[in-house]
Amino acid sequence: MLSPERLALSDYEYLAQRHVLTYMEDAVCQLLENREDISQYGIARFFTEYFNSVCQGTHILFREFSFIQATPHNRASFLRAFWRCFRTVGKNGDLLTMKEYHCLLQLLCPDFPLELTQKAARIVLMDDAMDCLMSFSDFLFAFQIQFYYSEFLDSVAAIYQDLLSGKNPNTVIVPTSSSGQHRHRPALGETSMLEGVEASLFYQCLENLCDRHKYSCPPPALVKEVLSNVQRLTFYGFLVALSKHHGINQALGALPDKGDLMHDPAMDEELERLVVRSRLHRTLRQHRAEKPGAFGFQRRDKSEALETLSSALGPTPYPYRWEPRE
Amino acid sequence: MAAVEKRRQAVASAASRAAVAAADSEEDFLRQVGVTEMLRAALLKVLEARPEEPIAFLAHYFENVGLRSPANGGAGEPPGQLLLQQQRLGRALWHLRLAHHSQRTAFNNNVSVAYECLSASGRKKQPGLDGRTYSELLKRICRDGEAPEEVVAPLLRKIQCRDHEAVPLDVFRAGMLTCFVLLEFVARAGALFQLLEEPALAAADRRVAQAALDSLEGALQAGDGANVPAHYLEAGSRLGPDGLALAMQRAAAGRRPCVPMMRDEFLGKAAALFIAKVKPVG
Repeated sequence: MLSPERLALSDYEYLAQRHVLTYMEDAVCQLLENREDISQYGIARFFTEYFNSVCQGTHILFREFSFIQATPHNRASFLRAFWRCFRTVGKNGDLLTMKEYHCLLQLLCPDFPLELTQKAARIVLMDDAMDCLMSFSDFLFAFQIQFYYSEFLDSVAAIYQDLLSGKNPNTVIVPTSSSGQHRHRPALGETSMLEGVEASLFYQCLENLCDRHKYSCPPPALVKEVLSNVQRLTFYGFLVALSKHHGINQALGALPDKGDLMHDPAMDEELERLVVRSRLHRTLRQHRAEKPGAFGFQRRDKSEALETLSSALGPTPYPYRWEPRE
Repeated sequence: MAAVEKRRQAVASAASRAAVAAADSEEDFLRQVGVTEMLRAALLKVLEARPEEPIAFLAHYFENVGLRSPANGGAGEPPGQLLLQQQRLGRALWHLRLAHHSQRTAFNNNVSVAYECLSASGRKKQPGLDGRTYSELLKRICRDGEAPEEVVAPLLRKIQCRDHEAVPLDVFRAGMLTCFVLLEFVARAGALFQLLEEPALAAADRRVAQAALDSLEGALQAGDGANVPAHYLEAGSRLGPDGLALAMQRAAAGRRPCVPMMRDEFLGKAAALFIAKVKPVG
């Protein structure tokens, strides 16, 4: 019921840990941008709605990237929103390219940086064939790791490079194997055995990093688990293992397990209801007037479907393209 | 040359002055409409209560502020006496729930605020809190606490005041605290019962349940006498997993068949142990 550490913190530490001031500041900015609304509804109501939407995770929709990545809660909310909005892509089994996924991301966050999408795609595709097609779930889980642990992964990449070039960031002892040997490595051939870095050494460095890292990192025990299965591994091998590890997915808490990704009974029911209703609608109309083209009605049904769907998703309407399949 | 320089400076300073003015006007605006004050109060409440989920806490907090503001019907025709009373009770309850009772300073502050809310009643009457309002508040707390009525009724009988009596702040505070602690005690006892319970029967083995109750009683007895920290330690060790498990195992070993114990009976007995320790008012 009570976690006592919370009470032992100083006021500023407590507020910073929970990002209270971030949200309060943002609430005031939003209020200043919507001055007309508050004269109508009152300030308290405005703040109530703001903080409720933060709780529900709908506050990040259509916001600028700097805000979306500002707190772990915002990142998790964004991942969740992305999954919920575009789940149907996965359900239909469509494969999309990196650019197409980027467009989807930009529908929710107009200034979403291409670089992040590229990095996520690289985890899935592993090499430079960046125009390949990816499944929704592959992209989503890779994107989750890249987006949520962005700063952590940057540090990991630096450590990896150091290890690769023979430097051990943890110790002053210079390994006897000459660093030059590693540098030639991309010349392929006999190197397949020696690709990447040694897992145990890598873990020591990462453990150290997790201790002092001020951004979110995956639970060290799970990182250890990932690294204990192999002798050596490459940076992207590590990222792939992270993205496929369902313990890490659970610890992050934004998305369901991979098996349940397409499973959302409430939404399915809603869609089913819409389909049935639109069919019923159409047959009734056709009965009434045989002649006029059914096309007009279909369009009508479609916009209606969009409305209901957006209300099912959350309080804010989603203006993304919606193309029902017959 | 110097003139150009001067003009440029003037332009620059005018621009910065405009920016400052904009910022000023925003600040003024926030101050005028009361945002600054409202946020300051909210932040202080957050720091006082240190909730686990501050954002949900804030949403709830502002919702209540909104309900109290005159914009929402408060400024209309004066509400009836009964409605006014309900509003005051609601407000007091809200204050009481802002902080958990284990955060004693915050809780005590909130109790004082709730007391003020309730005692600032009718204009004609003397300020002060009467027994009727106090009893009603206690009843409301227990009802919202989801404890079975017959379980908490003995406590209410013990700490209630007479309807016409004036309730001083310390009695009020002790009553509120006891009430909240009992509710938590009952909730914990409920959780304990759930562990003992056989899901199919919705009841627990009487011997095992009785053994749990006996160790609870033993622990509470140990707390009697002088208020010495050693008693707390002893009580803690009796209720530790080892002590409790040992007692229950011993009980389960006795092989006499008997009637299972239902949840309500268990909760009633556990609460009775607690209530026996409460000193009656007056």
